[in-house]
Amino acid sequence: MTAIGPFLFGAPLALAAILALPLLFFILRATPPPPKQIELPSVRILEGVLPREETPARTPWWIWLLRLTAALAAIIGLSQPVYAPKAKTGAEDAGAILIVIDNGWPSATRWSELVNAAVATLDTGGRDTPVHFLLTAPQALNVDPAERLSKTDASRRLSSLRPHSWNTDRKDALARLDASGLKPQRIFYASDGVESGSGTAFAEALTKRGALTIFAAPPKSAAAITALNSETSAVKVTLARTDRAGLDRGFVSALTLDGSALATAEFSFRDGQGQTEAEFILPGAALSRIARFAVTGQQGAGTVWLWDSADRSRRVGLVDAGASAQPLLSDMHYIRKALEPFAEISEGSIESLVATSPDAIILTDIGEIAPADAIRLTEWVEKGGALIRFAGPVLAAQGDDLLPVVLRRTSRAFGGALAWEEPQSIAAFDEASPFFGLAVSQDVRVRQQVLARPDPDLARKTWARLSDGSPLVTADARGAGTIILFHITAGPDWSDLSYSEVFEQLLRRSIAAGKGESLADTDGAYTPERMLDGFGRLVPPGANAAPMKTAAVADAVPSEANPPGLYKGPAGTRALNAAAKANTDPILTWPLGARLLGDAETRSLRFAGPLLTLSAGLLLLDLIVALWIAGRLPRLVRRAPAAAFALFCALTIGLPTPAAEAQIDPWELGNPWTDGPSQGADIVPLGTSSSVPAAELDAALRLRFAYVKTGDRALDQRTAAGLRGLSTLLFDRTSVEPSEAAGLNIETDALELYPLIYFNVPENPRPLSERAIKRLNDYIRVGGAVIIDTRAGGGTGSDMTRLQTWLKGLDIPPLQVVPKKHVLTRSYYLIDDFPGRYAERKLWVEQSAAPGTARGDGVARVFVGDADWASAWAIDENGRDLYAVDGGPDQREMAYRFGTNLVMYVLTGSYKEDQVHIPALLERLGEREDAPGFEREEVTE
Amino acid sequence: MIPLAALRAEAEALAAELDAVSLNARAAEAREIGSARRRRAGTGEQFWQYRRHADEDAADRVDWRRSARSDDLFVRESELETSRTVLFWCDDDPGFRWQAATDPRTKAEAAQMLMLTAGLLITGEGERAGALGSGRKPGVGKRAIDRLGEDLVLGTARNFPEPPRKGATLVIASDFYDPISEWQARLAPLARVCSEGVLLAVSSPVEISFPFEGRVRLSRPGSAFQRLIGRAETFREQYTERFNAQRAALADMTARMHWRLVTHVTDAPPLAAASALKIALESFGARRT
Repeated sequence: MTAIGPFLFGAPLALAAILALPLLFFILRATPPPPKQIELPSVRILEGVLPREETPARTPWWIWLLRLTAALAAIIGLSQPVYAPKAKTGAEDAGAILIVIDNGWPSATRWSELVNAAVATLDTGGRDTPVHFLLTAPQALNVDPAERLSKTDASRRLSSLRPHSWNTDRKDALARLDASGLKPQRIFYASDGVESGSGTAFAEALTKRGALTIFAAPPKSAAAITALNSETSAVKVTLARTDRAGLDRGFVSALTLDGSALATAEFSFRDGQGQTEAEFILPGAALSRIARFAVTGQQGAGTVWLWDSADRSRRVGLVDAGASAQPLLSDMHYIRKALEPFAEISEGSIESLVATSPDAIILTDIGEIAPADAIRLTEWVEKGGALIRFAGPVLAAQGDDLLPVVLRRTSRAFGGALAWEEPQSIAAFDEASPFFGLAVSQDVRVRQQVLARPDPDLARKTWARLSDGSPLVTADARGAGTIILFHITAGPDWSDLSYSEVFEQLLRRSIAAGKGESLADTDGAYTPERMLDGFGRLVPPGANAAPMKTAAVADAVPSEANPPGLYKGPAGTRALNAAAKANTDPILTWPLGARLLGDAETRSLRFAGPLLTLSAGLLLLDLIVALWIAGRLPRLVRRAPAAAFALFCALTIGLPTPAAEAQIDPWELGNPWTDGPSQGADIVPLGTSSSVPAAELDAALRLRFAYVKTGDRALDQRTAAGLRGLSTLLFDRTSVEPSEAAGLNIETDALELYPLIYFNVPENPRPLSERAIKRLNDYIRVGGAVIIDTRAGGGTGSDMTRLQTWLKGLDIPPLQVVPKKHVLTRSYYLIDDFPGRYAERKLWVEQSAAPGTARGDGVARVFVGDADWASAWAIDENGRDLYAVDGGPDQREMAYRFGTNLVMYVLTGSYKEDQVHIPALLERLGEREDAPGFEREEVTE
Repeated sequence: MIPLAALRAEAEALAAELDAVSLNARAAEAREIGSARRRRAGTGEQFWQYRRHADEDAADRVDWRRSARSDDLFVRESELETSRTVLFWCDDDPGFRWQAATDPRTKAEAAQMLMLTAGLLITGEGERAGALGSGRKPGVGKRAIDRLGEDLVLGTARNFPEPPRKGATLVIASDFYDPISEWQARLAPLARVCSEGVLLAVSSPVEISFPFEGRVRLSRPGSAFQRLIGRAETFREQYTERFNAQRAALADMTARMHWRLVTHVTDAPPLAAASALKIALESFGARRT
């Protein structure tokens, strides 16, 4: 370190490079940026017009000034200047050294670094330099700063130091220093870098007392667990860190009493974030085994959180009282609602509940417990369970011995028509009661209760009273456990208590009595059981650890007398955590006059970084200028807004909006078991509401048939005319009233809006596209009906081989020729042939599968034939038949009847098939099924 | 480099979009027997009209078959069928056979395509087409177009061609960036022989817009000429002015020669230029009638 003026230079020799600047100056002046090479034939017209050379051969002055400034900034930056106007240099050999060490819990994570730095300081002084110590964490027997140590003793002392598990008190330390009257020449302050209320002021005060060197080692990553929040099946641990810069992630482990890890949760700090949370999601049974949380890889009392029994989630068993006529008024309902937020509830018989060994079991108004169950319950209570019982009419009539007090055989009602007494409110809780501290609204009235028989012990056993003094809640220890009786019902029948918010608190505290944490005696103190040492290890309590009064537990601050750890007391164990509600803000400003080492170094006023940044910035500016001069910049600039916009879009789309996330309902996510008939098949999606074409909307609102547009216009017109004829006929004769048929492009239109799609195969069909096949498949799969007519007619047999190639890929189920008594033959008319323009053709339908298979009810969905029905049905706008039919009007009528049957079959499915017994019934009625003519079957609708 | 066949195909497509060309006949050409129909009475094979016999007509010209049907005497006239020659020349300077990075084709290729289109149109009507300075005779029909294409691509070894022996209609394609005085000296001998000519000035879009910025060094293809410009964007105005002056001088020179000037930019649709070229060719003769 060399001082020039108020500056210290870390590498003063680098300044010699300034001598080279004039040389740089000449080089920079000489070279202008190279021009772009452009070929242009029309430059011929410029010959004789242009000046020979337009740009100056020399670089403009401001460019070389820019570059020289950049070079100068780089050189000065490299010489590492530090602004330290009050720095005392050269006093390294003389006088006493005072070593100040922060030995509170924040120092534990980097303790060895602090000690090493202090040891290294010892080496700098002369051989006989006296060394003094000042430790900032207060102790009963503090080290006296005036105590003079030799260097060897000092280093021995240093290596034997350990961090304490409580925090520093720097004001106290300063007072001790002043009290000792020591006047140190040099001070070395090994700081934990955590403000803790007075860090900055302390360092400032030290500068006034000697030449100060500060070594700071603030905790890295998560410094402390500052809070814990438990719910029924989750625990949230709040972590704080000191160094706010950068991303950081790590893990918190949940440990059992014997130190085995039950679970691990990840936490992460964002840049600039000082606090974060880690969440454990565990079943209640596992939660109850957790004894402490620790940040993985960190050693220190701050990073350990002892979890006492006070806020641990409880397992509670509710004894099933059977179904209730009015579930919302039943006792169990109120208990369940009150317990849900904090306890894990299981319900069942006493036997099954005892088997799971919950913390508490709640019985509502059960008078006599079966002897076997009573034995089980007794055993369980004696092992530490809390049995909570509610009174009621049944219990009032007959009690058993699993009660804390002996009851009178009647209940007492207030405020009735024949009673003098008003309904009673609840008195404030005694100090001895576990309920002490809870406030009960005076609006809460008790109208009826069971009464305890007077007893010397009754007062001791009473946890809550009515304002007239009669016991409301009584409890008695039984073995290691407790039996608690609420002298009222759990529901609103006897009192308003179950409406009150205090009800939940009462239950919670009652349940806490379970598992050996007897609440009978609240006097006395919490005695230290297991303590944390500075490195976060559990150790037996030291000699200085003193018991705490019950009242003091809530706001105890860790100190030497009350070190962090577990304290055992009347209401179970209570934990005192080192870093509870601790503030881990770093010390941001160090005194100017101090020399800074370690992590504090970055906080000193060093100019190397800014100067080098300035230099880099200037060089960047120079680059931009060079580009601009060379004419390459405008294109970049022109593209920049577009690029920025694209980036912005990418970011906006990439980040899901919170609102969108919040709307995801877990039950609406895909569930393979509830997704129904599609079973992974794509259902042809309906358009979104904003963009439904009018045609689709119309199709959805009215029943209409559809036909496939083949591309052959004449054929399409013929099909449309056929469906028009069929629709008109249905309109006239049946309750099916279809609108005008729609022509569909299978590849684009919504198919699922139409109950029936008629497919007239053109003469020379082109094979359907893959997309069309897929959509047709989906349509059939979700229940649509497809009628395929090859219109071949003629000949002897019906040749379907052509179809096979054409419909390749269409998922047509096995087909069969329509059997004799198929529903198609009697879904509206009784018919035995399915003629179109050609008579006596075969009609293939899907084989009726057994009902319950994929295509519901075995209703055929695919019809294949070659009788050219559409032509037979076809009429023009005026209702006149368009095409001749082989068999004349009779056959046309038959074709229409087939069409009617077909539509009925498609629309009603197997409805008619259910009437398989119709023939038998008819026969019984004396009619014959095969009556002559085409009688209409009775249509019931 | 676009192959000739591709140029030819494009030219065919262009020609298909344009109407057939019909060049106006001129009295001086009557002796050029050919097959292009001139839409007026003259020497030829096709019937043109019957007209009444005039006193100056020889008696043996009376068409007796027609005259017998009425009281008047009629003379049968056939349509004049002559053939005109159109000669094409495409500049083979490296600056003309050049394209900017963004251009679809070189200026020469654009010019050749337009000239092939014109050639297709006129040979379709029975006129003769050929390349100026190629040494091959102008011809009729598809072969003439084949030859024209080959000769245009081949060029004339960077020499400006000698004027043709007989008068013809000329189509001269270049970028015309050389000083106008030079061009005047080159074209004067041609103009002396041929009173009809079209100058096809093809340029690249960058030569018109001069879109350069910053410090640039301009060089001319095929020559060592170079110019350094400090701020090209500030120079643009001066350049445009100079370019327009050159074009104006060119138009002026063309007008003085009673020739026509057709301009084309390589990124513009060629149909417009082909149509302009066709109109320019058709305008000859019409001026005199």
